[in-house]
Amino acid sequence: MKRIIYQDDTGGVAIIVPADCGLTIEQIAAKDVPAGVAYSIVDVADIPTDRTFRNAWEIT
Amino acid sequence: MSIGLKANTDGSGAVQIGGTDAVSISAALGITFATGVDGDFKMNSGYGSIATAFGCRAWVNFNGTGVVAIRASGNVSSITDNGVGTYTVNFATAMPDRDYAASGVCGNENNFIGLATDGFVPTASAIRLSIHDAANMPQDSAFVNFVTHR
Repeated sequence: MKRIIYQDDTGGVAIIVPADCGLTIEQIAAKDVPAGVAYSIVDVADIPTDRTFRNAWEIT
Repeated sequence: MSIGLKANTDGSGAVQIGGTDAVSISAALGITFATGVDGDFKMNSGYGSIATAFGCRAWVNFNGTGVVAIRASGNVSSITDNGVGTYTVNFATAMPDRDYAASGVCGNENNFIGLATDGFVPTASAIRLSIHDAANMPQDSAFVNFVTHR
């Protein structure tokens, strides 16, 4: 399973969770990531599961 | 035994009912209603009268805790996890405008869902929602259900 991550305009991390809608993850990224924003497609295992400090996450 | 009705022997084309193709049934498009009439699907199924059936245009059931994940959805391309208790629902096929009605519930006691939160005005293609606890603080929820009608 994959996720799409990008830095939002507040400096936080936005994580897109794809739905089973018939689109590829690349098509979902093209559609749902804000225009002009750089993003990465990562494995879901790379996303922390402890959300205690979720709002302080950074993309490294 | 079944009785089939095909426009063409190979199943292509559409079976049309009504003088102006008011109802069209095809394998490719399903059942469609001509906009020349008014395009609406109407029924009396406990309404008490024949009335337009306004369908759910998008829905999603997701887990907003731990590994945020969608359990099931319809006409949703993705959800965006924006932070604690804050998500964006992205529609696979956009609404005709942003004047749709959205609603949702979540799984924790004393929680409520706010729509169009954090200054994000709904668009035809997405809407932002936030879950808050009784003290109005953002909070994740394991069960988030959201629907949109138009």
